Amino acid sequence: MRLLKQLWRWFDEVTGFSKSLGPVLTHPVPRARRSRWFYVFGSATLTAFLIQVVTGIALSSAYVTGSGQAYDSLHFINSFPIGRVVRGIHYFGASAMIILIGLHTIRVYLMGAYKYPRQVNWLTGAGLLLFTLLMAFTGQLLRWDQIGFWTAVVAAEQAGRAPLIGNWLGHFILAGNTAGGATLSRFFAAHVFFIPALIFVFLAVHLYLVVYNGISEPPEAGRPVDPRTYRGWYHELLQREGIPFWPHAAWRDLLFGTIVVVCVFLLALLVGPPELGNPPDPSIVSASPRPDWYFMWYFALLSLIPKWSERWVIIMGPMLFGLFLILVPILGGRGERSPLRRPWSIVLVASVIAVVAHYWAMGIRAPWSPRLDAPPLPAAVVGVTSGPIADGARVFYDKGCEYCHTVSGYGGIRGPDLSDAGDRMSPAQMATRIFSGAENMPSYRGELSEGELNSLLAFLASRHIVQPPKPPVLRTER
Amino acid sequence: MQDFFFIAFPYIALTLAVGVGIYRYFIHRFTYSSLSSQLVEKRQLFWGSVPWHYGITLILIAHLLPWIFPGASRAVLGNQTRLAVLEVTGIALGLYCVFGIVTLIARRLPNDSPARAVTSPMDWILLLVLAYQVLSGVGIAMFERWGAAWYLSTAVPWLRSLATLHPNADTVTGLPIFIQTHFISGFVLILLFPFTRLVHIFAIPFEYLWRPYQVVIWNRDPQMRQLPVLHEIETFPHTAPLAPCEVQRRQLLTRLGILVGGISAAIVGIPSLAFLLGLRKVPEVWRTLGAADSFPIGETVQVSFLDSTPLPWSGVTAKTAAWLRREGPQQFIAFSINCTHLGCPVRWLPNANLFMCPCHGGVFYKDGTVASGPPPKPLATYPVRLRDGNVEILTTGLPITTV
Repeated sequence: MRLLKQLWRWFDEVTGFSKSLGPVLTHPVPRARRSRWFYVFGSATLTAFLIQVVTGIALSSAYVTGSGQAYDSLHFINSFPIGRVVRGIHYFGASAMIILIGLHTIRVYLMGAYKYPRQVNWLTGAGLLLFTLLMAFTGQLLRWDQIGFWTAVVAAEQAGRAPLIGNWLGHFILAGNTAGGATLSRFFAAHVFFIPALIFVFLAVHLYLVVYNGISEPPEAGRPVDPRTYRGWYHELLQREGIPFWPHAAWRDLLFGTIVVVCVFLLALLVGPPELGNPPDPSIVSASPRPDWYFMWYFALLSLIPKWSERWVIIMGPMLFGLFLILVPILGGRGERSPLRRPWSIVLVASVIAVVAHYWAMGIRAPWSPRLDAPPLPAAVVGVTSGPIADGARVFYDKGCEYCHTVSGYGGIRGPDLSDAGDRMSPAQMATRIFSGAENMPSYRGELSEGELNSLLAFLASRHIVQPPKPPVLRTER
Repeated sequence: MQDFFFIAFPYIALTLAVGVGIYRYFIHRFTYSSLSSQLVEKRQLFWGSVPWHYGITLILIAHLLPWIFPGASRAVLGNQTRLAVLEVTGIALGLYCVFGIVTLIARRLPNDSPARAVTSPMDWILLLVLAYQVLSGVGIAMFERWGAAWYLSTAVPWLRSLATLHPNADTVTGLPIFIQTHFISGFVLILLFPFTRLVHIFAIPFEYLWRPYQVVIWNRDPQMRQLPVLHEIETFPHTAPLAPCEVQRRQLLTRLGILVGGISAAIVGIPSLAFLLGLRKVPEVWRTLGAADSFPIGETVQVSFLDSTPLPWSGVTAKTAAWLRREGPQQFIAFSINCTHLGCPVRWLPNANLFMCPCHGGVFYKDGTVASGPPPKPLATYPVRLRDGNVEILTTGLPITTV
């Protein structure tokens, strides 16, 4: 023990660490009082990032960056129980990082902590948010199962909507004219070298600025930020009632970070990593690409916005989001910080959360997706086993109607539920709709023989919901 | 002779420009000067200088971009409307420049013009060559149309061959003499660089963009004639005030440091970037799908084939899938499996005669046209041909829907 202490003293004497870094560690921070637990999200995001670095390095030691072998190498990693755990930690660590950086962004925005002199803190943070989303996207792709493969295609198609350079950009992302041998290496380089390097650089500036400008004090309504006096005032505040960051504030960061690590570890252990799907074989066309949970809402958004707006949303949406992040500290660099005096910030955050939650829920149900795995209607639903109605039920399945229309709980939910079609429409109305199609329904003109049409109409006309007997209406005597 | 003009001369011009430029910068730095004419005449200078500089900067950029990004430029100019817009813009900017340079020459011409007095012979040569360059440029734009497009396959390969030290002038020697003179006078301008005021291009005062603006006020009040003396010059903290030569020395060393660092970064960065951007060129090849007779007429079946550049490590991803439909004895049509919405694989439902996409619910009819849902355009097709009784398909790659 004494030897260790001596060793440290010698090391410290020749490096000067406690002289140069000690003050950084113990620099005074304002008392955060009631909102003190809101200040832990930033360091927790950093914790999650470090989880990703460590587990990512471990995974990369076995991952093979070849379009033909990556999938098998993931199975290889999966074949060891500890490999599954590390994959699980990497997956849930990514999820935690997304959630925490979201909470951190919301906290900083609501508390107006991006105002003078912390504008560049915010801008580097915005860069880190963007990079984190890119890491999430490329990371999902590196799983390189069927969904990972199609994610690369979807990425190229989205880039294709960029004006003028779209085609070039799409092929640049694929590293060729099709998703194949060269594609995966490109995403691997982005996920493992390029984006992490940017994250480290931005993180360094971000942390430097946190120390240089000092952590923001909790906002108070009626105490606006004035760039001319703020620094002096803040300095005075620290002198008056500052507490050393280490250990008086840091213990909360440590505790919360530890909780994050433990939660991620437990989830990895109990839930496990996302299962690998089919191999990344483009000739297996029975694929249903879905993003991981963090992009589920965007997937839904692209299905539900009006068709004409899509070309604008795909490109302009992310750009406007980026522009918003840049403009926030530039246009709002001074004035009131308290959310109580900035009610619109609360409205904005609430609406963003509501919209994302709504689309997220929609994305999980994906009502617009045809249920291509729907089974034929069982006889119990059809009611008969022969005759035109039974024939019509077969046509209903064969022609793909059932993929989009539900009958008595079977089938897709893109189109209207036809369980009670016979109650709502006459056969003539049905025939018109079948022939003419609609915005989201193909026209079946020329696809149905007269016999098929007649039995289909007979089947649909037989769809009734058994009405419960109407309660007797009480009449009052006049 | 043409080898001289298009291979030797460009290198001579560049070598002289760089060599003399560096020599003068370091050895005879203060021999650079150009007598200002702004003091003697301002109004015409404004009308000449502003159109000239804005016009020529944009035109130079337009000349440079295809040279650096030929592939992207080709993609941009592939569309007739864009090409026409670019040509019209180019001619407009060219005329704007002509207006500028003519004004600039005219203000120096009259015998009694005060500007004439401060015009050196070298200034005259430069003005004339510049005037010829823009006039010939506008002439080319008007009489040898669609220069933006043919530039890509004539001057660009030549200039790139010069840059990569594999000079090859074959693509330009066949051009009309008029166009060739435009190229040569361009290199004459490069040659003139270190000998004339053109060097100012390398001294673009970018600091003006962020420095606080200064208001120049003519000192009309006789009592204020006495100029304020600049007592404090830029000094480093903790040091005594520096002599002016020391300040200059430090400035020079700083700039030199930035220059050397920039060169190192470029040496490492440019090849890396070029490698990153250059991975995507692939040929298109015909792949056999099978005997024509193995495909029943009127049916749509899934086929898969190797893409045009299967790599040893591509594995299953080297495959491309398509939906092949035999329409008649000789007629085949091959649809891409990629939905035109966001590229997900569409499935063929043989009983319903429909393609359906599992991602966002796009539906296509059997002929590939959109039946319903978000897809903006019909399914893409691959070229198909019949050869020796076999169906062959051209590997054109993933169709990307663009706006």
